[in-house]
Amino acid sequence: MFTFLRQRLLNHGLIRSLFCFTPLLISLVVSNAVLADGVVVDKVYHPYVLPNEREVEWRMLAQRENGVSNDLAQRFAYGQSVTDNLMLEFYLVGERDSNEDFSLSAYEIEARWMITEQGQYWADWGLLFEVEKEHKENNWEVTSGVIVEKEFGRTSLTLNAFIIYEWGDTLEDEMETEFRLQYRYRYLEQFQPAIEVYSGEDYLGVGPAFMGVQRFSGQKQLKWEAAFITGINSESQGHILRVAIEYEF
Amino acid sequence: MPNNLKSSKVWHKVKLVISYMLLAMASYSALAQRQEFNIILKSHLFYPTEMTIPSNKKIKLIIDNQDDSVEEFDSFSLNREKVLFPKQKSVIYIGPLSPGRYAFFGEYHPSSARGMIIVSGAELDLPADGETDNVN
Repeated sequence: MFTFLRQRLLNHGLIRSLFCFTPLLISLVVSNAVLADGVVVDKVYHPYVLPNEREVEWRMLAQRENGVSNDLAQRFAYGQSVTDNLMLEFYLVGERDSNEDFSLSAYEIEARWMITEQGQYWADWGLLFEVEKEHKENNWEVTSGVIVEKEFGRTSLTLNAFIIYEWGDTLEDEMETEFRLQYRYRYLEQFQPAIEVYSGEDYLGVGPAFMGVQRFSGQKQLKWEAAFITGINSESQGHILRVAIEYEF
Repeated sequence: MPNNLKSSKVWHKVKLVISYMLLAMASYSALAQRQEFNIILKSHLFYPTEMTIPSNKKIKLIIDNQDDSVEEFDSFSLNREKVLFPKQKSVIYIGPLSPGRYAFFGEYHPSSARGMIIVSGAELDLPADGETDNVN
């Protein structure tokens, strides 16, 4: 049984590839450089961009910790590919505050750049840049990072590694690192189970996820994602539910 | 923790990530040679509709869209989506795949633009290796 499993993994090059990724994983997962002042769990980005792509997106994040906090954040976005390999996306971010009022908290612009053609090299590479400003405060956040995806037969491993710099009137200047991982089994177009790992800002969380896509005519398609992430170190207790729905047209 | 110490740790990680990226890209640009296969899209039909490729190898699929309209190559089993611009050749890198049948279709004409990649475990009588594939 184990010999068979090992052979299957070797055939897919998974062990070899994980070996190559290991130093990168260790250096990013064992990150303790910053104070916790944000939520690490979000979407795991894929490096692919299609020409003529337009999309609207809704993301929801609900966090519950020890029955005390019950945070909610939502993002509404419009995105459009501006060249064959560059996608721009504009976000409005809303959060529920301590008075249970939900209001606009920030806006953001994001650029995703596909730097290699899918399947051309050993892995597919992309870059991500984001600038976010808080609505009511003069606080800013700039993110840049690398997106990597590697195919192993019917599974795909996606890694996101981000460097984030924050500054502003009510924020201490600081640099942070974030790491996201998704290992997805492309079982059915409409149902693709996955495992996701998030690390950064002293947080380490892991949990199941699923995603799918329903195609309509032309480029029109509806994509969905959901994940239930549980904090697994002493400073990351509680659970986070994330949901994302995206309509491409 | 002092800010400069935090920054130096972060910078060390940045350098590590960039090193990995450059190493991976450099090694594969040197090694990348793929067998080439050609498909024509004409009147919203793929020719040939079935194509056999070797198993466990990466190949380069060149699709010549001879129509006047845009098409989008789509295949869930191949895990590929690619916009095929009119009167242009597009390149799609496929594999390595295990033996089996992998369907693909054109998103704008799904009833007519359909095809099948057959991955064979047997030795195939194939054309010579194509040129270096650093083109799109």
